[in-house]
Amino acid sequence: MEAFLFFTCGALMLLGGVMMVLQRSAVVAALWLVFAFIAAAGVFAALSAPFVAIMQVLVYAGAIMVLFLFVIMMLHGPVLDGERKRLPLPMWPAVAIPPLAVLVLVGGWLSGRKAEALPAAPEGFGAPAQIANLLLGRYLLAFELISIVLLVALIGALTLGLRERKLPWS
Amino acid sequence: MAIVLESLAKIVFMFLLIMGMVPALIWAERKGAAYIQDRTGPNRASIGGVRLAGLVHPIADVLKLVFKEDVAPTNRHRALYALAPWVVMTVAVSTYAVIPFGDYLTIAGRKIPLVVADLQVGLLYVLAVASLGTYGIVLAGWAANNKFTFLGGIRATAQMISYEINMGLAIMGLMLIFGSLRLTDIVAGQGGLLFGWLPMWGVVLQPLGFVLFITSVYAETNRNPFDLPEGESEIVAGYHLEYSSLKFALFFMAEYCHMVVGAAMISALYFGGYQIPWLPRPMLEKHAGLLLQLVLGLTVAASLLFAVLFLRRVQREKGKFGDARDREPVLGAGFWIIVALAAAGAFALRPGDIGATGASVFASLFQVGAFVGKVVFFAWLFIWVRWTLPRFRYDQLMRLGWKVMLPLGLANLVGTALVVALIGNGK
Repeated sequence: MEAFLFFTCGALMLLGGVMMVLQRSAVVAALWLVFAFIAAAGVFAALSAPFVAIMQVLVYAGAIMVLFLFVIMMLHGPVLDGERKRLPLPMWPAVAIPPLAVLVLVGGWLSGRKAEALPAAPEGFGAPAQIANLLLGRYLLAFELISIVLLVALIGALTLGLRERKLPWS
Repeated sequence: MAIVLESLAKIVFMFLLIMGMVPALIWAERKGAAYIQDRTGPNRASIGGVRLAGLVHPIADVLKLVFKEDVAPTNRHRALYALAPWVVMTVAVSTYAVIPFGDYLTIAGRKIPLVVADLQVGLLYVLAVASLGTYGIVLAGWAANNKFTFLGGIRATAQMISYEINMGLAIMGLMLIFGSLRLTDIVAGQGGLLFGWLPMWGVVLQPLGFVLFITSVYAETNRNPFDLPEGESEIVAGYHLEYSSLKFALFFMAEYCHMVVGAAMISALYFGGYQIPWLPRPMLEKHAGLLLQLVLGLTVAASLLFAVLFLRRVQREKGKFGDARDREPVLGAGFWIIVALAAAGAFALRPGDIGATGASVFASLFQVGAFVGKVVFFAWLFIWVRWTLPRFRYDQLMRLGWKVMLPLGLANLVGTALVVALIGNGK
């Protein structure tokens, strides 16, 4: 059951990613990205990580992509029409990655390796309490440092975004 | 196999509960608005003379919407225009999966928990689904390619993102107190008594959190006083302006589904869900026979009262309309007399001694009834608020969300955390 969910969601995620790249309209591309994020949440759920799965939907699909869409729509996101350029040479490996990923996925399926080969997740694995204990215990310093980085980035974006320097502290 | 059937039965029950409440709420909205504005409200549609005080109108609405021409703007984005109503509707009905509508039901020795999916991260699931709700509205606004719908969609995005944060902050207080993200744990934790007499409901433990939560729920459902995405006076009908026929019906239904979801969340998180204060489960099972007799007795009394009211109209309104509608009082009185007789007949089956199995089933059903009662009350509260308060202005809405509710929510969270750290949580 988990294996089925994992491979289905993985395939859907790849589909979402490929479709996102192939779109001409920025709005539709953003929606395919949302689709890929929700499929990624399914992959996490199949890997016994319910908390991460829900957070994937809540943060990426539900909050960040809504803001992306908001900005794209406000700025009348570009729709590419009849504009065909040769792909620059350094981009070609990037094009090869999705088909390779599909090959790996299908190959893994066909090679017949069963999910039983992996040890089962221990009791309480991926539960909110366990993640909280790790984040606010063992990895507290890293966690706090990352939040400071995010805060600095936020203030930086605000400073750059304001046309005139009308910050409350200047 | 049994578990599949169980889940299927629970899903069907929840779906019927929502879909059954939608027409009832549409009726309640119209009648409630009429009552608050001192007018009669809908009373013209009738089937063979039976008007049911306007309850036939939702049926007429459905017929009208199904057979209406589906007019769509020419320069729409075809795929997204068709997709948007489905996104709105899917999101509106999928929250129900994690809301417990009862404790458990014991049938043939199997203990069935009365919740469709008892997720470990149920509360976060609710928030995640609510955050996806924005897409339907913003896509509807954008895909129709109309300035007014677009403004509605943009307003909805900004409003829903702002109030989701407050909703999450309000819920976090409850998470701290009950020490769990599982909705069944939170509802079960509200069964106790505080100081031996006060029901340990979320609203008692988190009064400020409740006010913040209910305000955010009203903003998330886009209902008055927060219905700026539709604001008729400024942007015609907002995001669903360019939709007609069944596509509009989906938006309309989704709004009422959101109301039922909001009401169910408010009653599950802050009003004890299926818990009845001072009447815990063991006591319910002990006095099941007595309670059943009481319920039957009240049914007899209420239906006799309705029958008498209808019989008085038979006298007073003889030949008032001169058509089929004159038959309504006679049919109504007959219906209620039959109900009264049926309830009285049930006494012949000796409801006093229904046995241990019967008592257990009765207790479960009684708790489900308590939950449904609370949901109906809060759904009515939505309607009451809509026809009482005026709409916010857009700057007022943003100021309330970011400058009033966010600091209050943070203060509530810190205060709750301090208290929980000092005296321990509910467990």
